[in-house]
Amino acid sequence: MSNTSVTAAPEDIVVPKKLGFGFWLCVIWVGLMAFIAIFASVLPLKSPTANFLNSAQGRPPYAPSWSHWFGTDKDARDVFSRSMYGARISLTVGFTAITAGFLIGGTLGVISGYYKGWIDRISSFGFIVLLSFPSLVLAILLTSLIDRNLLTVSLVLGLLSIAPVGRLARAATLQYADREFVLAARQIGATNRRIIIKEILPNVAIPMSSLALLGMAVAVVAEGGLAFLGFSVQKGITWGGLIQLGSDASKTLQNAPWIAFFPILMLFLTVLSLNFAGDRLRTFFDVKETTL
Amino acid sequence: MRYYVQRVALAILLLLAVSMLTFGALNILGDPLFNILGPVAGDVNNPDSIKMIALAKKEFSLDRSLPVRYFIWLSDFVRGDFGVTFSSTGQPPVSGVISERLPRTISLVFLAQMFAVLVSIPWAIIAAARAGKISDRISTINAFFLVAMPNFAIAVILKFVFSLKLGWTPITYMADDPLRSRLFQLLLPALTIGLPVAAVYQRLLRTDLITTLQQDFILLARTKGLSKTRILFVHALRPSLFSFITVVGLNTGALIGGSIVAETVFRIPGIGSTLVESIFRNDFPVVLAIVMIVASAFVVINLLVDFAYTLIDPRVRR
Amino acid sequence: MTQTDLVRSELEPLVETIDVKTHFKTPRGIARAVDGVSIQIRRGQSLGVVGESGSGKTVLSRSIMGLLPRNGVIREGSVRYRGQEIGNCSDKEMQSIWGREMAMIFQDPMTSLNPVMKVGKQISESLRKNLGMSANEALAVAEKLLHDVRIPEPARRLNQYPHELSGGMRQRVMIAIAMACGPNMLFADEPTTALDVTVQAQILELLSEQKRDRNMSLLLVTHNLGVVAGYTDEIAVMYGGKVVEKAPTKTLFANTKMPYTEALLSSIPRLDQPSHSRLTTIPGRPPDLVNPPKGCRFAPRCAYVRDLCLNEEPELEQADSPDHTYRCFYPVGSPEYFERRVELTRKGELVASEGSN
Repeated sequence: MSNTSVTAAPEDIVVPKKLGFGFWLCVIWVGLMAFIAIFASVLPLKSPTANFLNSAQGRPPYAPSWSHWFGTDKDARDVFSRSMYGARISLTVGFTAITAGFLIGGTLGVISGYYKGWIDRISSFGFIVLLSFPSLVLAILLTSLIDRNLLTVSLVLGLLSIAPVGRLARAATLQYADREFVLAARQIGATNRRIIIKEILPNVAIPMSSLALLGMAVAVVAEGGLAFLGFSVQKGITWGGLIQLGSDASKTLQNAPWIAFFPILMLFLTVLSLNFAGDRLRTFFDVKETTL
Repeated sequence: MRYYVQRVALAILLLLAVSMLTFGALNILGDPLFNILGPVAGDVNNPDSIKMIALAKKEFSLDRSLPVRYFIWLSDFVRGDFGVTFSSTGQPPVSGVISERLPRTISLVFLAQMFAVLVSIPWAIIAAARAGKISDRISTINAFFLVAMPNFAIAVILKFVFSLKLGWTPITYMADDPLRSRLFQLLLPALTIGLPVAAVYQRLLRTDLITTLQQDFILLARTKGLSKTRILFVHALRPSLFSFITVVGLNTGALIGGSIVAETVFRIPGIGSTLVESIFRNDFPVVLAIVMIVASAFVVINLLVDFAYTLIDPRVRR
Repeated sequence: MTQTDLVRSELEPLVETIDVKTHFKTPRGIARAVDGVSIQIRRGQSLGVVGESGSGKTVLSRSIMGLLPRNGVIREGSVRYRGQEIGNCSDKEMQSIWGREMAMIFQDPMTSLNPVMKVGKQISESLRKNLGMSANEALAVAEKLLHDVRIPEPARRLNQYPHELSGGMRQRVMIAIAMACGPNMLFADEPTTALDVTVQAQILELLSEQKRDRNMSLLLVTHNLGVVAGYTDEIAVMYGGKVVEKAPTKTLFANTKMPYTEALLSSIPRLDQPSHSRLTTIPGRPPDLVNPPKGCRFAPRCAYVRDLCLNEEPELEQADSPDHTYRCFYPVGSPEYFERRVELTRKGELVASEGSN
């Protein structure tokens, strides 16, 4: 029997029945990063700002070695501990931004999808306006005008995530708002608020949960981009900032690539984990949908 | 017909909203006077400073209210007069600065899109034809990895490998080089922006292709005795390209944002890097002009993509 | 070729399957969709394959034509076309047969036609690939084909898209595509199921006409006995992946042997029944193809079942004439059959006046 048919049968494409080993691996990594971010100051890390000049090794930057796992930068600061501390701002901003975006955008989306009418028209227009800027441009614009601390930068990124989150929440709500079980609930006299909380939210939460992880990945990348260009938290250590410091001067990048590359690695692994986990969640829930 | 008019009207409304927001943000959250004059703006005791402040206020209409200033600016803007820069080195007109640098960004974005499209289509076709097999899984993983790399990281890595270690491309952009050489210098930055979006495009097209290949009309095409290649390219590809084209078009705006990073890393004087510089210099008119141009381009492109969609998909035609 | 050669080629089956089996690998186990089917179709002859969903009739037609999915399929047995074995041909080898010698039309014309390709091109494509015509020649022939299948204004239709045509017209286009290169064998998979009743008759007439004019063989798959009654020479009834009765059409209706066939026939509502009569149905559900029941596959649902049926599988036997075969231990007309009927009538489960057709 030949194996050259054009059509791939559905059995060919592996459909995961459970979340899988890869998913949990990613969750562990993100958890590890979060742990380090929270407890960095009590962990046995070298100081991220101290200079570890060692005349025996000559002038910094020092290449990776047993005493400096990731090497040092040209001020002899330990790259490993700076990379670990970098997780603090990057992850916090990412998490806060997506949480804010979900709370505001999600609420707006569900409300406009459920009640429709002028609320829907206004918020939809608002979403479109927000989406009319390339997000990086808007982020730069807004962060450049304010005092940049952890909260404000998170809020700006949160603002930017309102639109995509809101649109998805609205679309998901619209899908469910017209279904029979909602009509049935209304018949027995349930108030709108009750319907939203008990009937709509649990269903909408499913596609939103994978969006949460994916969104956090985007937020972390966005913060990285802002930091790289110099628009993130002032005076803070961020992965993007570390990468910029390690790559701005061509000489530095050429001779001491580890200064930029290790933060890149940390960022990459974290974003990859979030993306993969979010994607896994999405396929996992999609499958359930199709068997209904 | 009515549909088109509605969409255009919406686009204009959108642009107005965008312009109001930007203008408002810059003028409310920032302090134009400070940006023009620096610390002099706060120096109210020095009579010279007071004179300069008055002059600046008159020059930039800062003595009028915000809405009036907005209308003044808007009427100038639509006529192509973007004002003059605040930067202290002379006062070149903003439009000059932009017209000099915009083509570079446009070329960059264009190159990036071309690369992404040319790479993603065959990649997606091969992946769809071998769906489920090992080579497909590998390429999916590849695509995944690419998407997880932020474009500034890619830029740094590419610069390290190709400019510094291999020396194939120059480190800084030479604006005076002949056209061919300049385009060559744009190659690496275009790759920076184009690689991650190529991965995104490929994943999308692959999924669409696989779905299309399950349809009955593909089976019918087989019963006609058509070759696998013809079925893939002629029957399966065309219906799958519709959402692909839409995404590519809509993504152009995002690429403009991505050019900011590429231009910064590879030191290309395009409007992306100019935006960042101008913000650091508090050069309002330039910032305003660039943001408006970018947003307008975004809105117009989206509009065109919408229209194009109704023209190419025979199912949607009226 | 000598006279005897010519005569022999007319009498030899055009398409023949010998104990063909098609099994699918599923997460639950191996589904035996077609489990040992042997049929023959001669030139110009039409065979109707009838059965419920899951009986294996569609898989059978696809197995003969070689259109099965790439992975997860196990095939056994032999499929012969014009005496040549085609069961183990690669797709590339089959491409020279598809279109030119064999063609297939499907159930739903809306999804079976390429929605973004003009109708004319979908027809001329086949002509150009299989008969080497030029673009213009092919379009001219396409127009003639549209005329043959009785589509009004054929020239205009060439430039239209499938969604601009009605359901009946789309099905005619599919027939035109199938007929384009003059195949010897046409597989029609539920060609009328998706159509209005009035259109159904037209399409069946059209198929009949084409078959006559071109001396083409036809395999008509359907779940509707009414469809095959007037349009086929021979009928094969399938159940659980096997053929349970095969006979020339008239014989099948007049001298039914297998109780399943009898049940199918009696479930067709008839105009001369008094109104508000209860419709007869067959209780139960089609068998699980992964774990088929031991013994006769229809036994769990058969009104005439006995112990032997549940334990042993009946083989195909001949009835009164060699072209009539069936698979049953206690067929219609046997003593055990009448015994059971008396029992059921006494129990009130069978209306005494109801007889076999």
